[in-house]
Amino acid sequence: MKQMLNDTKVKITLRVIGLILLVMAFLLLVPSAKAAFPEKPIKIVVYTGPGGLIDISARKFAGIAAKYVDVNFVVENKPGAGGIVALKKVIQAPADGYNLYACTKSNIAKFVQVGGEGYVDALHWTAMLMADPECVITNRKLAIYEWNDIVLDALATPGEQTWVGPAAGGLDHVTALKIWDKYGMDAKWIPFKSGGKALAALLGEQGVAYVGNPRDALGNPDLFIAAVSAPQRLEAFPDVPTFTELGMPDLENEFMWRGFALKKGTPPDVIQWYDDLFKKVSADSEWRDFWAKGGIDVAYVAEPEFSKLVAEDAKVFEYYLKKSDILPGEAVGFMAKMASGSAFKILALILVCIWLSGSYMVHKSQYSAILGRVLVIGFFLIVSILFLIQSMNFPSSSAVGPAAVPRLWIFMLVPLNILLLVKTFRKNEAVAETGPRVDIVLSFIGFLVIYLFAMQLFGYFLSTFAFIIVGLYYLGYRKWRNTFIIAGAWILFSYIIFYKTLYVPLPLGMLFENLF
Amino acid sequence: MELLSNLGDGLAFVLGVVPILTITLGVAMGIVAGATPGLSPSMGVALLVPFTYAMSPTLALILLVAIYIAANYGGSITAVTINAPGTPSSVVTAFDGYPLTKKGKPGMALGVSLVSSTVGGIIGTLILIFFSGPLARFALKFHPAEYFALAIFGLTTVASLGGKNWIKAFIAAMFGLLLNTIGIDPISGVSRFTFGISFLYDGFALIPALIGLFALSEIFKQLEGGDFSSQQVESGKQEWPTAGAYWKLKNTIMRSSLMGTIIGIFPGAGATIAAFISYDVAKRVSKHPEEFGHGSLEGVAAAEGANSSSVGGALIPLLTLGIPGSASTAVLIGALMIHDLTPGPQLFISNPDIIYGLLASLLLANIILLVLGFFGSRLWIKVTTIPKTVLFPLIFAVSIIGSFAVRNSFFDVAACLAFGVFGWILRRYNYPVAPIILGMVLGNIAETNFIRAIMMGGWTVFFTRPLSLGMLVVAAASFAVPLIQARKQKTSS
Repeated sequence: MKQMLNDTKVKITLRVIGLILLVMAFLLLVPSAKAAFPEKPIKIVVYTGPGGLIDISARKFAGIAAKYVDVNFVVENKPGAGGIVALKKVIQAPADGYNLYACTKSNIAKFVQVGGEGYVDALHWTAMLMADPECVITNRKLAIYEWNDIVLDALATPGEQTWVGPAAGGLDHVTALKIWDKYGMDAKWIPFKSGGKALAALLGEQGVAYVGNPRDALGNPDLFIAAVSAPQRLEAFPDVPTFTELGMPDLENEFMWRGFALKKGTPPDVIQWYDDLFKKVSADSEWRDFWAKGGIDVAYVAEPEFSKLVAEDAKVFEYYLKKSDILPGEAVGFMAKMASGSAFKILALILVCIWLSGSYMVHKSQYSAILGRVLVIGFFLIVSILFLIQSMNFPSSSAVGPAAVPRLWIFMLVPLNILLLVKTFRKNEAVAETGPRVDIVLSFIGFLVIYLFAMQLFGYFLSTFAFIIVGLYYLGYRKWRNTFIIAGAWILFSYIIFYKTLYVPLPLGMLFENLF
Repeated sequence: MELLSNLGDGLAFVLGVVPILTITLGVAMGIVAGATPGLSPSMGVALLVPFTYAMSPTLALILLVAIYIAANYGGSITAVTINAPGTPSSVVTAFDGYPLTKKGKPGMALGVSLVSSTVGGIIGTLILIFFSGPLARFALKFHPAEYFALAIFGLTTVASLGGKNWIKAFIAAMFGLLLNTIGIDPISGVSRFTFGISFLYDGFALIPALIGLFALSEIFKQLEGGDFSSQQVESGKQEWPTAGAYWKLKNTIMRSSLMGTIIGIFPGAGATIAAFISYDVAKRVSKHPEEFGHGSLEGVAAAEGANSSSVGGALIPLLTLGIPGSASTAVLIGALMIHDLTPGPQLFISNPDIIYGLLASLLLANIILLVLGFFGSRLWIKVTTIPKTVLFPLIFAVSIIGSFAVRNSFFDVAACLAFGVFGWILRRYNYPVAPIILGMVLGNIAETNFIRAIMMGGWTVFFTRPLSLGMLVVAAASFAVPLIQARKQKTSS
């Protein structure tokens, strides 16, 4: 009887295992069966936070594309490092067409600055969808606001005239450099965090000119477009003269473009699908009307012309970025060589080793209280020294270069720490007693580190489930039913709120992503 | 009078069923977004942008602004209950809110924070409605020198925050400022201290640092003390503030609301500086400055009044000039543009219905916030009665997902953990951690405006502009006074 029961048990177990294997085999086979593109939502990866023009372009595009294809477009904002973070997301994903990179000309400036040509070549430049002419905007309230007056004023006071605009090294800055170059002007570029803040400075009469796009001048009657860089006058702004009319045909076509790119190596049929879609959207009347009001030319430029355009942009950016000292040159001088060479790494390593061996001794030493305090001070001093050496390598063309402010903080941090060090030895200050359960803290730090690695391997949901259970158990919670309910509820909550609603791309784990 | 009739039209519009439901939805979502570390108001707002695409522009804006307001308050809930400020500005709320929880009085802190938020929000809105024109013109005149002076003023609050540990407080602040210089220099475009790590091109994100330094280090500290067998607060009857308790705080709330609105006008500086400065002032004028940092209701009121009223201030440059002051207001501009409206002064003339509908909705949103917050407080106070053995692992889980969600990056999660350990060590050696956050928030404003000001007007510009000079003098005084007082006490004792 018992034997029989065991047999049935074994049989059932075997059946269950067989069933699981069958399901797994099925799941493994399914994706390899070729389905038509697209079979799941497409992510549009935007390199800024929500609200900027490229974000609006992506969202508007998603809305209009929905008229032509039955697919769900999801806009994912991946801000950071001028587009590098978003770029990495796209080029680290498979080249299957499900990650569309919403790009602008400003990205090229950043790619040139950070990654050389590697980044430009990593993408298939699929479609440029709009060309937004660059223009110079001035303030009507100021004594000079017509273009010719601005030029005359700049030539009369070399190095004095102030221009405002967004970040240094971006398209608008480079356009300004080009304009000054052509006219032989010498002015100051004061960069602001965003175009909007620079416009506020223009309205506040802190500068005489701003470089941006015609749309920026809408909505505020004090803003005046002095000149636009376009082959002919814009339909939306018929009163604005072009640079050609103003006698500078070299500046007839400076524009900001926006468009989309895919990872290089995307299959041709997917690219064909996108080419068709971009053609339809760029011919759509709602799409054209939306942008035309801002003087934006709705264009459609596909490969290989788009790639040529990008390559040319990269060349121009490289030339002007080198000229304005934003691209680093050769290390000059002893300290700069030290900062960039291997000597720096060795020094850093030595300091870290000294510090670590000190902290290893904290618990052994009879002077543990004072040693601990010295180690904290030592930490701040080591960071200060390493940062100071690094700052020697920054370009220093102007009086207040990029090294000025970090050094200011370091020069305050160092004396404060030395003062504290002196005080530490002079007077014994009461330090909080070490608690009885440092071991628990250390184990939890260990759990969290393991949890982080597990998340990348097994995915967020599984490792979090395990982490919560282990955490509760370790702290002495023994109601098992509740433990599982709590862990399960958290998983459900994070899945629904973070993963499904907020589109936070929680990792599914390398193991599972490769399986399914 | 045209203003009043326009406002009347606006009120008549928002008192309809659909607008009220919209605002209620926005407020509820905003509270949740603000209370969850890692979910920022701008994320909440951005999440809804695709939905608002299909709504009328007025309703869309009303919804987005309701989220924005409520999120500013929501940040204080987790600051009070688990010492995890949901937004940078609610760091200041945690100074006294969390000690109140530890004393078993989370209800007092939650109540005061709700009422101060609401009153602050309404005062900020009224100032926005009646004085936006002149204030906007005033704001335009701010030179980078003035922004720099304001940042320095904010930094001097460290002197009184640190008390007798002022050297350590300043070391922490300077370290925060130094951390802030990691990444691409906003002025020159050069990358600094990134050591070739691409995650560092934008520096450390603020939220993971905030969660690590506050929430994680607090748990580590309590775990170390072996203090996890009980609940934070006994379940049972909770103590809530009485009407008299609120009335006593009226001056603090009024003062911090006025300061919050004015500081909020500086685009980008906003809520956090406002909360720090207002807290500092409240401590100086208080009859019981020794209670600050140990559960002072005035401290909670000063922080919350200021950060909520700064919303009104931040909307002034947005509505009157079309200039976003913060990430959340940038999304509002995006929402206007997607509806084919151009933000800026012309909007007042071309679409007064939208502007005044929005202004009226701000008043209503604050009232709805009070109602939802009142009932909500009774709900989330229960967090403090969860046994710590369950609560702590869950706080870790919230911290991890929250720091991941900021930029969808593992680097931020690792940074959060590192900040947690760092904060735990610093606290043991009596370093306050809040100045690090202040340094990280103010670093960018201080640095970029310092350099801009010098590029525009040379080294002397800080002292030749009266407003900048005045602010620097006040800053110097507020820096020196607590130190001198401390020295006097030392010599007399």
